[in-house]
Amino acid sequence: MPLLDFQKVERRFPVKRSFGDLLANRKQIYLHAVRGVDLAVHQGEILGIVGESGCGKSTLARIGIGLQPSDGGQVLFDGRPLEGPDREGRLQMVFQDPYSSLNPRMTIGAQLEEVVARYRPQMPRADRQVEVQRILAEVSLVPETALKFPHALSGGQRQRVSIGRALCADPQMLIADEPVSALDASVQAQIINLLKGLNRDKGLTIVFISHDMNVVRYLCDRVAVMYLGEIVELQECASLFAAPRHPYTQALIEAVPDVRRPQSLREPITGEIPDPFAVLPGCRFAPRCPLAEAACQAPQPMQPLDTGGLARCWKTARLLA
Amino acid sequence: MSLLSVRDLITEFESPSGTARAVDGVSFDVKPGEIFGIVGESGCGKSATCRSILRLFGGASARIANGRITLEGAGDLAQMRERDLAQVRGRDVAFIFQDPLSALNPTMRIGKQIGEVIRRHRKASRAEARAAALQLLRDVHVTSPERRLDAYPHELSGGLRQRVVIAMALALRPRLIIADEPTTALDVTVQDQILRLLKERCDSLGTSIILVTHDLGVVSQICDRMAVMYAGRVVETGAVRDVLDAPSHPYTRALLAALPGQVSRDSQLIPIKGAPPSLIDPPAGCRFAPRCTFAQPQCTIGTAPGLHPRPAAAEGHFDACILNEVSHAAA
Ligand SMILES: Nc1ncnc2c1ncn2[C@@H]1O[C@H](COP(=O)(O)OP(=O)(O)OP(=O)(O)O)[C@@H](O)[C@H]1O
Ligand SMILES: Nc1ncnc2c1ncn2[C@@H]1O[C@H](COP(=O)(O)OP(=O)(O)O)[C@@H](O)[C@H]1O
Ligand code: SF4
Ligand code: SF4
Ligand SMILES: [Mg+2]
Ligand SMILES: [Mg+2]
Repeated sequence: MPLLDFQKVERRFPVKRSFGDLLANRKQIYLHAVRGVDLAVHQGEILGIVGESGCGKSTLARIGIGLQPSDGGQVLFDGRPLEGPDREGRLQMVFQDPYSSLNPRMTIGAQLEEVVARYRPQMPRADRQVEVQRILAEVSLVPETALKFPHALSGGQRQRVSIGRALCADPQMLIADEPVSALDASVQAQIINLLKGLNRDKGLTIVFISHDMNVVRYLCDRVAVMYLGEIVELQECASLFAAPRHPYTQALIEAVPDVRRPQSLREPITGEIPDPFAVLPGCRFAPRCPLAEAACQAPQPMQPLDTGGLARCWKTARLLA
Repeated sequence: MSLLSVRDLITEFESPSGTARAVDGVSFDVKPGEIFGIVGESGCGKSATCRSILRLFGGASARIANGRITLEGAGDLAQMRERDLAQVRGRDVAFIFQDPLSALNPTMRIGKQIGEVIRRHRKASRAEARAAALQLLRDVHVTSPERRLDAYPHELSGGLRQRVVIAMALALRPRLIIADEPTTALDVTVQDQILRLLKERCDSLGTSIILVTHDLGVVSQICDRMAVMYAGRVVETGAVRDVLDAPSHPYTRALLAALPGQVSRDSQLIPIKGAPPSLIDPPAGCRFAPRCTFAQPQCTIGTAPGLHPRPAAAEGHFDACILNEVSHAAA
């Protein structure tokens, strides 16, 4: 049984109507941020979710943690439907900007103790500080960090504090939304090592959201690729990078700058992610896809791949047959 | 022969806690038609170096305390009166910022904005300026350019906006474009398109570009030569393939080693411990010493080491590590 199971999850946001729209009695339009996402997160894995800005990664994460309701489908956590944030704190989230997620007026120690107290009320008061120190050590922060305020820490230290704060709840699963995107590469490496260690040593299940393909390739076991609200490919990490099947995944991987090579002469894909309001009956990547043809105007279901993964493109499936 | 030559540049910012030397003795050259990359961690002085060239400090209490900035045929920009420098901006040297929105006027249509840039520097009727703007939009591969002429900036996507900003930078056929993190705010597939566009324009017009980025991959993609900055100083410089394939300064090596694209999944990434020093009161000697795994007692005394060629290194490949200097003397 998956630890976290997204089943046909949908999310639409009503778009603000102008006064003119109201006068003309125009229909309410919606931005379809997440469309029919089916995704199972297994115990003990690091699942990557990649895709370009606005494709719905964060929305999916907030639904997965119970911070935001879905308006279609359901999310099962440990076999039970998730209704709001887990009361026992078994599901925790880490955000991109560690500064905004920490309380600027409380010491790090007090903030961490508060989380321990909330989710582990059975722990005697006297033991909490010991536990906080154990967790600070776990995220490689010196004991004095407990006495400091967030502004006195560097970006990398703050991000370790926010991971530490999530660990205070003794979670089974961490959803990390772009946790290293705001950090320099020199510092990013600490956080990636930390997440990898927590997964390896404690079996912590991690959903790692990122737009950095190099980081995902290094860290994740499986990867889901999102485009305009949909998952378009899902594969084991190694085969996704060795044999990307969906044309969008291929373009995404090829566009990643490589420090070992100058730019290739290959033509880049044209165009940008169209606005998410666009109503496209068939494949949502068709306007940018070099292989698009008339048959792509039909709805595209996920198709099984030779690698054991799935991709939302009839052509990849046919090419393999 | 250099198009731009920067020598011993020192730029300081006043702040309540003291004077920060954001740029401390930086020298480099940009040749005609080349793309010169400047990389380094956040806060190491990349933007301050670039802004010094055109004195674009946006009201900050900044001053160029020392140095020469020689633009071929224009003299020393560091000594130039503001009035003359205003002529150099846009005409000889154009600037592209990270955030395209901040560079565009939100209340003016795109075609008009590009046209104004042209009309500020040369005589042209409105119709001529509009026609020139249309051609510029075509040159930067904006789709349906006729339609975009009448759009406002907020109606365009991030990638389109950055194309418009590049079109404006190209409007006066400058000899040098300074691009400060031009793709950092963009998605990777769009970044790829914009980098290709910059390279193509540079190749076809012979324009030189200074490209600032914190992403070594971006430098690897399109730059010819590069400088690595650390705490206000250039610590390594040379041809891109020499520096990235055979880095010699411990900081450059550490930066490369920290990248996840470089190692197998089974080995640990190697972060750089600690953080860059304060620029108000930097440590004596090599500024990287507190974080350097090779540091020796002699690294932390005296003035910061300067650039010197390394034994057996390729031509034009310099670094500022004392250890390499010592082995040079011994050789
Ligand atoms: N307006 C200012 N007032 C005071 N200090 C400044 C100002 N602008 C820059 N600095 C300081 O100068 C140093 C270098 O800044 P600069 O913006 O050039 O770095 P950078 O390498 O471009 O960093 P980033 O990648 O974060 O943009 C930093 O320590 C910064 O805090
Ligand atoms: N509260 C909201 N109201 C309206 N639109 C939203 C809201 N949250 C997200 N969106 C839209 O949903 C889409 C997906 O957003 P998000 O999940 O934040 O993307 P990502 O994290 O991949 O950048 C975007 O187009 C975004 O603008
Ligand atoms: S379905 Fe067609 S348009 Fe979509 S990715 Fe496949 S080939 Fe391209
Ligand atoms: S001079 Fe010394 S401290 Fe500086 S980089 Fe070289 S070895 Fe390291
Ligand atoms: Mg997001
Ligand atoms: Mg900068």
